[in-house]
Amino acid sequence: MDNISITGAKILFEIPVFGGIPITETQVNSWIVMAILTLLCIFLTRNLSVKPTTKRQIVAEWIVEKVTGLVKANMSEKFSHYTPFIAAILGLSAMSSLLSLLGMYPPTADLNTVAGWAILVFVLITYYKIKTSGFLGYLKGYTQPIPVLTPFNILSEFSTPISMAFRHFGNVVSGVVISTMLYAALASFSVVLFGWLPGIFGQLAEWFPILQIGIPAVFSIYFDIFSSCMQAFIFSMLTMLYVSGAAESD
Amino acid sequence: MEALELISINAWHTIAAICNLLILTWVFKRFLFKPVQKILAERQAQVDSMYREAEDSRTAAEQDRREYHEKLENAEREVEDIIKSATQRAEKMGDEIVAEANAKADAAIRKADADIAQSKKKAVNEIKNEIAGISVSIAEKVVEREISEKDHEAIIESFIEQL
Repeated sequence: MDNISITGAKILFEIPVFGGIPITETQVNSWIVMAILTLLCIFLTRNLSVKPTTKRQIVAEWIVEKVTGLVKANMSEKFSHYTPFIAAILGLSAMSSLLSLLGMYPPTADLNTVAGWAILVFVLITYYKIKTSGFLGYLKGYTQPIPVLTPFNILSEFSTPISMAFRHFGNVVSGVVISTMLYAALASFSVVLFGWLPGIFGQLAEWFPILQIGIPAVFSIYFDIFSSCMQAFIFSMLTMLYVSGAAESD
Repeated sequence: MEALELISINAWHTIAAICNLLILTWVFKRFLFKPVQKILAERQAQVDSMYREAEDSRTAAEQDRREYHEKLENAEREVEDIIKSATQRAEKMGDEIVAEANAKADAAIRKADADIAQSKKKAVNEIKNEIAGISVSIAEKVVEREISEKDHEAIIESFIEQL
């Protein structure tokens, strides 16, 4: 069991500028996800017609209408231009997390990815707060309802993106950790179960842990599929609520 | 292969994540939302125009119906008027004809009466003349018998009396 190691993304190579920018699995897999989503968009919206004739178009319209409805329900009408952004969060987050189904490293298991998104959301929240109540009003908001609470207000303001990032990161990483441990456990269990077999079969159990087929799939349903979609949904939901809340408050 | 720590922060990676998200937002907007929304808007426009057309034709049909109804009513009224005026004219004409006929008949009767009266008068005159002639011839014959004037007159008078 000592061969288990849970690390972050593997560094594939480094760009030798600014003291070396490491390009990791996160970057490459993000690009793969983006490429898949881009191709999917182009594929779905090819040959659109007013009278839908293809399933592709029906799927494309369904996606657009669902996301538009979601944004309309959770944000106000004036935020309808946010629909592509919310769709991008949903798509990128879900597809990134689902990569773990293919045994690839999910970019959302890298804190940098979700931290980047959360920082973007934080910037949007701050932008809308300043836009609604002015810069002074925004600063004054920290002293509400009484000045004594200012440190706590600042803390709570900055904890928003941090909690968003870590919630998403933690959920995906926990899935990765558990499946890694599960694979390791099943490998050793295979050895225990079949290792005593004489000759080639005993070696085969060590070399090819048969229990790793099938059983992890059951756990994947929760840790990969359900959790991936859930976290994508939660992250976009929180984004919508925080941003529209920032525009409405005060 | 070297790997990052499980929890590690790298500013470049964070910036890359932000850029990736923004790029994907643009991609979704450009390649998914714009085309689909355009199609949806077109469909909406088509449906709207269809509804409008249907509404228009319904209104037009209703108007036509009302117009025809009105025309029909007018025609009926006209027919009634025509019949009524024709009847009136016919009655009037009939009355006129009858009146004229009456007048003509009256005139004819009056003329006939006058003719009769004139004929009678003429006849009376003729008779009187004849009588006078006869009287003269009788008188001549009486004169041949040489009667007195007294006889003469008595004879004439008795003669006239007997007529």
